[in-house]
Formats: sequence, C-alpha cells, structure tokens
Amino acid sequence: MQIPIDRYELDNGLKVVLSEDHTNPVVALNIWYNVGSRNELPGRTGLAHLFEHMMFQGSQHIPETGHIAHVERVGGSLNASTWLDRTNFYDTVPSDRLELVLWLESDRLGCYLPALTQEKLDNQRDVVKNERRQRVDNQPYGDWDERLQGMLFPPDHPYHHSVIGSMEDLDAASLDDVADFFRTYYAPNNAVLTLCGDFDPAEARRLIERWFGPIPRGPAVPPIPGRPVLEPFKLGREVRHTARGGVPLPRVYLAWRVPVYGTPDYYAADVASELLAAGKSSRLYRRLVREQRLARSVSAFLLPVVTGSSAFIVRGNAPGGQDPAVLERALLDEVELLARELPEPAEMERAITGLEARHLFELQKVNERADQISMLTTYFDAPELISTELDRYRAVTAEDVRRVAATFLTPDNRVVLSYVPDADAPAEAS
Amino acid sequence: MSAPTIAGPDRSVVPGRGPLRPFHFPQVHRRALANGMPVLVAELRNFPIVTVDLVLDAGGLAEPEGRNGLSSVAAGLLESGAGDRSAAEIAELVDDLGLSLDAGASWDTAQCGFTCLRSRLEPGFQLLADLVRHPTFPEGEVARVVDERVTGIVQRRGTPSAAADEAANRWIFAEGTTFARPLSGMLRTLQGIEREDVAAFHAARYRADSATLVAAGDASVDEIVALAERFFGDWQGGAGPVAPAEVRPRADRTTIVLVDRPGSVQSELRVGHVGIERDAPDHFAVTVMNAILGGTFSSRLNMNLRERLGYTYGASTSFAMRRQPGPFSMSTAVQTEVTAHAVSEMLRDLRGMQETEVTAAELDDARNYLAGVFPLGLQTTDGVSGKLSTIATYGLADDYYQDYRERLLAVTADDVMAAARERLWPDRAAVVIGGDAEKVREELEALDLGPVVVLDPEELES
Repeated sequence: MQIPIDRYELDNGLKVVLSEDHTNPVVALNIWYNVGSRNELPGRTGLAHLFEHMMFQGSQHIPETGHIAHVERVGGSLNASTWLDRTNFYDTVPSDRLELVLWLESDRLGCYLPALTQEKLDNQRDVVKNERRQRVDNQPYGDWDERLQGMLFPPDHPYHHSVIGSMEDLDAASLDDVADFFRTYYAPNNAVLTLCGDFDPAEARRLIERWFGPIPRGPAVPPIPGRPVLEPFKLGREVRHTARGGVPLPRVYLAWRVPVYGTPDYYAADVASELLAAGKSSRLYRRLVREQRLARSVSAFLLPVVTGSSAFIVRGNAPGGQDPAVLERALLDEVELLARELPEPAEMERAITGLEARHLFELQKVNERADQISMLTTYFDAPELISTELDRYRAVTAEDVRRVAATFLTPDNRVVLSYVPDADAPAEAS
Repeated sequence: MSAPTIAGPDRSVVPGRGPLRPFHFPQVHRRALANGMPVLVAELRNFPIVTVDLVLDAGGLAEPEGRNGLSSVAAGLLESGAGDRSAAEIAELVDDLGLSLDAGASWDTAQCGFTCLRSRLEPGFQLLADLVRHPTFPEGEVARVVDERVTGIVQRRGTPSAAADEAANRWIFAEGTTFARPLSGMLRTLQGIEREDVAAFHAARYRADSATLVAAGDASVDEIVALAERFFGDWQGGAGPVAPAEVRPRADRTTIVLVDRPGSVQSELRVGHVGIERDAPDHFAVTVMNAILGGTFSSRLNMNLRERLGYTYGASTSFAMRRQPGPFSMSTAVQTEVTAHAVSEMLRDLRGMQETEVTAAELDDARNYLAGVFPLGLQTTDGVSGKLSTIATYGLADDYYQDYRERLLAVTADDVMAAARERLWPDRAAVVIGGDAEKVREELEALDLGPVVVLDPEELES
C-alpha cells in the first residue's frame, strides 16, 4: 500500500511532510522535536517531559490551557508524549480547523517564552510528580523500565535514566532550566511537521508558510550529553536484580543491548522477537504459556531508539507461587535455541505476515500515519519508509536471525530483572 | 494582547475556518440469512481490510447462578480447539493468515471476530464459523484458561486502580445484585468452573437466533452475505431470552469506603452511583452533561483537580451504559496528603453540576467536542464494526448513527440541567478511597460526609 508523501523544507529549517487522504473530513497535525530524555543533563532528569507539559500552559497569544480548550471545543483530540529520543505533539481536528492548529502549534514554538511563569511551573511540577506516583511509584512493576535502563546502560549513557525522572530532579527544575531548554531545543530546524488527512496541498503549504515561516532558525543543537557511543558495545557481563514486595505476582524481564533502530541487525532482531512472542503460535506462548504453564503471558519487543544502542526485551508473567528462576531458565532456553538453530521458512513467513497485517491495521488512522511519518523523517530523513520499511523485514534471512541472536542475545550482554511478591524472600544466591 | 515578537500574521486573532466537507456515517445494510440470522454490513473502501464480528446473546447476564466469569471463560476458550483442530493448530492458522482474532464477553453479549486483509476474508470466515459453532473445549485448556483468569483476579486486586474499581461496584450496587460482582468473576466462582459448565453454557447460548453478524470494510454487502450464508446459513437453534439484571443501589446515603493499602503514596479515588441504561430517553443530554463534568480535558473536574490544584495527573467521569443501568463513576488518583480535600472537591463538583447553570460556552464546547471527535473513532474497520455491534446489542435503528451528531448538537442547557438533577446523586454516592487508611481516615471522618467504613477483603468474594 503506497502512502502519498510530499516532503519539503522551510527556509528556517523546518522539515514538512504532507500526506493527503480525503476519506474522512479530518486532518492530523503532528510535530516531532528531536529532543528527549537523552538530552537531559545530570541533576535534571525528567526535564524534557516536564517541558512537554509546560508547552500546554500557554504562549504569548494563547492563555494557560487555552491550547487544549481551543482544540477540544472544535471537536478535536490532542496530546503529546516524551521519550528517550524525541518529544511529539499532535492534534487531530475536523479539516476546516487546520489553520487553528497551525496557529496554536506555531505560537508555542515562535512565541513561547513571554508566557512562562513560576506559578505555571509549580503547578505542572505537581502534576508530573503525580504522574510519576500514578505510573511508577504506586503501580506494581511500574519501575520496570527505569530499572532496566539503569542496569543496561552506564551512568554516562543518555539512556541510563528514565523519561519521567526522579522526584529530586523534578523539584530542582527552575524557570531558567525550562527557558534554557526551550531556547536550546525548540527551534524549527530541530523539528518535523507532518500533516495527514483531508487538506488542499497548495492551501496547506500557504498556511504552513504563513504561521511557521516567520519563526527564526535556532542555534545549532548541542551534542547529546554523556557518552552515547558504547565501547565496547556489549555489556561485558550479566547484571541481575530482584525487586521484592509491592507486586501481586512474580514477573521476569530479560534485556540485551542490540543495534539501534534502522540498522539491518535491528530488523533481524525484531523478527526474532516476533518468532518468540507475536501471536499464540509463537515459541514462548506455545511452550511456556500453553504447554508448560510456567507463564500466564509473555511478550518480546525492541525499543525503536537510535542513540548508541537499542534494547531487546523479553517479559514473562508467572502464576502465583511460581519460582521466577524456573521461568527465567525457560525463557532463556528459547532465546538460546534461536542462536543455535535456523527458524523454519514457514515460521519466518508467518512473522512477516503478522508484521505486514498489523502495520496496515495501524495505518488506517490519519494520526497514526502522521506520527510514523514524523518519526521516520526525524530519525532517517526518509518519510517514504512508511510504505517501504516492510521490505527491510522481508530481506531478513533465517541465518540473519540466528546470527543476531548468537551475537547479541548472550549471557555477557544480559540484564535479568525479577519481581517477587514476598518482601521477605531470601536474597538470590549469586 | 501584546504586539507580536515575530513577523508575520496577527497572532492575537483566532484564525477562521476553512471549507468543511460533511461527514456521513457509512450506510448500514441489513440482510437476513436463510436461517433468519441478521447481518449488518458497512462498506469502507480506503484500505484493503475487513472486520467481521459475531455478536451473541451470551454475556455476563446469561450466566447461571454461582458461575460468575463463565461467559468470559467460554468466549476465551473458543480458540482452544474447534472442529478437528487443536489450540496450537488454530493459533498457527490465525497467525499464518495474519488475523487479529478477538473473543470476549461484556455484560450484555459475547463477541467473537477478526480483522484481516481482504485477501484472507474467506478462510477467516471459515475459521470463525468453526470457533463459534464447533468448539471442543479440551479439558486441559479449560483448566489452563480458568487458571489464567484466577491469576488475573490476583493481579487486579494487587493493582490500586483496578482494586478501587472493583470496590466501587461493590458499594454502588446492592449486595447480591448483578453488577455488584465483577464481570470477570471471583476466585470462588472461577475455581468452580468445569468443562461441563462451559460446554453447557455454549450449547444453551451460542445459538443462531441469539446471534447477529456484523462486518465493516473492503467488501461488498453481497460478498459478506454470501460468505455468511455459506458458513452460518444452516446454523439452527434457539437460545431463549436472558433475564434482565437486578439493579438496586446499595446505600441510602453517601458512604465513604476505605480500601486499605498501607504505604501507598497515592490514593485512588472513586465517587459513584447507579447510572443509566443504554437506551435511556435522555442519553444525549447525559452524554453532553458528562462531557462538561468530567468527560474532556477541559472539563470542570479535571480543570479543578489537575490544573488548579495540581493534585493529580488526571480526573474523569463516565457512565457505563448497558441494557440495564450500569455505574456512573468519577475517577482520579491523588497524592496521599491531599486525599480528604480532593474527595470534598469531587463531591463539590458533582453537586455543582446540579446547582451551577451551564454557560452557553460550556454547552457549545461540549456539544462540538462530542460531534467533532465522533468521526475520529470511525476511521478503522473495527471502529465501524463496533458501532454496528452497538446497534445489534441495543436494538438501535439501523440509521441511528446517521443523525447522531445532529442529536448531540440539539441538546439544550435545560436538557443538561435536567439530566444532572435526575442522574447525579451526590447524597447517595459510594466514595471509595484505595490508599493508606491510617493516614487518611481521620481527615475523611472530619469531612462529615457520611459514615466511614473499611472494606472487608472477604466481601469481594461474596
């Protein structure tokens, strides 16, 4: 399926991608800023995400929370999210309101600082601290990603700390930090703007130039802090941790460093994750959930990240009373088998079929299409990959899968994180 | 407004609108198979994708006494063996075809269906018919799926948000009534489920005259009807009617219920009471009223608790509408120290909805929001198929969604105030607090809102 792509750039460096679809009278606007938690300095973890919240607190011509009110009252939906490598903002509105969202998004990029106040920062700091409590501190297993990142990446690597950040660092964030973060990273030359849906392309170009064109180019973006390049690439040992108490049932996470999103080995590793846990015919589901009943559910996935290393993650949820060590061994048996024996052609074909079908199901929504286009443009300057990336998966051979598993999914490159319900369980012998 | 700091257009003026093309809900075609089974079809042609769902009168309300959770176990077991295929063979076929297969139960119905690339429509249909008509319920798979559901309950009760939801339903609905118990069952009812229970439930409820087939996507009405006729046209049998749920509120005054979780850094808060049924005459007024109270980011409740007070990451309200009245619920999580004040603010917003006239702007914003986001959920084949299921489940007119937006936009301020006064019950609400009881109890008692009780965990199994 060919998704139409029209890519160009404004004089101020803003990359723009237009993708028309007149099926429904709606249009999705999506902006990716090439900044995430990886860009945070020591002592300021969580700042990128806190800043994302502050982008909804008004700009020179938009009152506090006015952005959301404007979009909701015309029948639109909107949100934003922050991750390791990027921060995205998106609005989906009836197509007659395209200019409204261009006005809103351009005002918080072009006229942000005059509206910044300490009161707004203090309020959103409280909201974000409650987000942390709700998602991490008061949520069983809620710290799994924070723990895995801390174990997989050394303290000077940009992925060592979590996106949400620590309470101490959130408390320490000042108004100057927020303003500096804006001046450093929020510039048209560090962003991608995608429109997907029902618009007239000539009119869209005119409106984008009208609202975004006058915003001046920002200074060159500083390099990512710390040491993003991992030398040596592999961890060099196994790192283990058992978290005790606060969870209803045992759970095991395994993680390995693997090459970043966009590399041939990433696609091969992704196919390996499909063989392990995509669908109920997958190896882990069939053997561990259905046959041996050591797990109640399983999953395997890669982080689509681009700075130094990705992570290959396998998760197993155990029934009550199950020794996590037994589940861990069973998960590892299947991972090790991938490194020894070539998968059957039918199994490879099944993995590609699943990837293709799910990709197409997702693309039905204009907002999902816009987000993927922004991502592919931010990371690879290649929006057309939305239609052709599947070819990269099809190019993966059974031997690629075996080799990537044998090279990266090894004991000396592995993190094991177990959760056990009993806070008083004896410490793991090591 | 101050002068712009950058060149370009006047930014102090909100831009106007462009041309709007009308939105039309796709035409709903109704046909009947030779055996009388209804088929509802909507065509969507922009992606080569089709969703097919069989909607059956085999949900939670159809469960026999003492077997709570059986409807969901039965639906989950359809893919555990059917015809001459084992669970593993079915899983391989599903993944070979790239089907997204889904089976589950709600209070009102069971559903089994799939989304697929249109080239796989015929084998998908064939498999669906096998699963629904000829499941084998192997002994070992029954035990496994029951175990899975038992684990799910342990997981739910150990998760603060889900535990608060379960406790809220226990205190919204009278003891022993249908909706006081969770749809997914309890430990004692699940552990009593045997293969014979599942087979008997299937034999009684998965019958041709309790089923509607709905389909949406890149296939014509004739294609769908021909496939449905081939795989379901000779299906026979009557299921008989399901007794309606017994719905009564539990408390005659507002009651505070503590679900103790020592050491919690947050309190999960629910304020709830009996709500409305899906075909209530004031459906649209209640929907708009809910949007104003807590159904959007800009709603009164979220603006108060999140943006004014900074107590929470978010707060919302909802009505769960079923064939009989489901719960109305206000929901949020706040840091432990502000628990009592947050509770009083929630009740103040609830009462305020009855007392403070909605402004013209509030009404306009809520109506336009609901009318505007309606098409966003209809971009996918499963989004449209879900609406066809709603038509089938609640006996709505086939053209119900054609003027859905107009009916939302016609709601008046008087309608909203009438709905608030009749459908919100601030004086007999269940107020559930999942958190550190020792830290919050005294302040909650000091609010003097009503009796304060501590939930007995045993009660969750009653």
